[in-house]
Amino acid sequence: MQEATFLILTALASGSQHGYGIIADVAKISDGRVRLRAGTLYAALDRLRLDGLVSVDREEIVDNRLRRYYRLTAEGSGQLAAEAARFRSNAAAAFARLGPGGGGAG
Amino acid sequence: MKDPAAGAESALERRYRFWLRCYPSAFRSEHEAEMLGVLMAGAREQQRWPDLTECLDLAFGALRVQLRPRVARSDRPRQAAVRMMLVGALFELATLVTVAVTADTIRTSLLRRDPGYTAAQWHQEVTVGLHPLMVGAGFSVCFWLVMAWVIGRGGRWRGPRIAFACFFIMTTVSLLNGLDHGSALYARFDLVAGSALWLVEFATLLVVFREDPRSEAARELGMPT
Repeated sequence: MQEATFLILTALASGSQHGYGIIADVAKISDGRVRLRAGTLYAALDRLRLDGLVSVDREEIVDNRLRRYYRLTAEGSGQLAAEAARFRSNAAAAFARLGPGGGGAG
Repeated sequence: MKDPAAGAESALERRYRFWLRCYPSAFRSEHEAEMLGVLMAGAREQQRWPDLTECLDLAFGALRVQLRPRVARSDRPRQAAVRMMLVGALFELATLVTVAVTADTIRTSLLRRDPGYTAAQWHQEVTVGLHPLMVGAGFSVCFWLVMAWVIGRGGRWRGPRIAFACFFIMTTVSLLNGLDHGSALYARFDLVAGSALWLVEFATLLVVFREDPRSEAARELGMPT
């Protein structure tokens, strides 16, 4: 799973969000490191919908503009949990090998 | 009086719409309105033109949506068919390279078999045999890629099945014709590459004609497939 996809699913894990909300949340989750843009976001959302990992929760019109809220499906939650567990396991292995010092080499 | 800020906003929106035209129409009818909303929400005050990074992101996003297969992960038969088509394109390209690289070997083999083999005869062999073969392989690479794209778009299997069956028959006849003209004796590398390619084609044919379990279930329920 690509990092952008992982972060989009993570953003939706706490509840449904609209496109701009997902972009803002992904920036927050990644400490500003990942800045999603509309083209990347909607290509990913379209793919995730096709795979049944996210679905449309509801739509509303705000300031004459369509706002569509997306939410994680049960399958999406399962995939995210599996991927997060894999990251945790890999990170634990990395920290165990680095020793008590953490990040220092040598 | 017309609000200058509103004018600036509509110009920006018009420019975003221009970039959104790169997307397939089905994608646009589904997402254009909300994408515009997101783009406009992220725009700076008085911004009149999209940033370069935004334009690149929209262009690459459109390219990705245009080219990538629209096949759900659960649709395994279609995913397998798309993968086989891409593998076939790679094998076809490898065959094309083999034919181009081993041309001198073929000439040496022909000279060994017939010491009186002339330059004019070789020129004819290249013109009548090798060049059409290479052009045909080039077209075949395109055919495999187009098939991958068509199958990846979804839709009915009937068209791709008929097209691929015709392609398989044509390439089988071409391979048998080459064998009949003694290619096994003077163009061994080409023959090996051609045979490997034929096996890939045969495997792809089986995948393309394999019954989709969901179609079977739909038929049992009396639904159109």
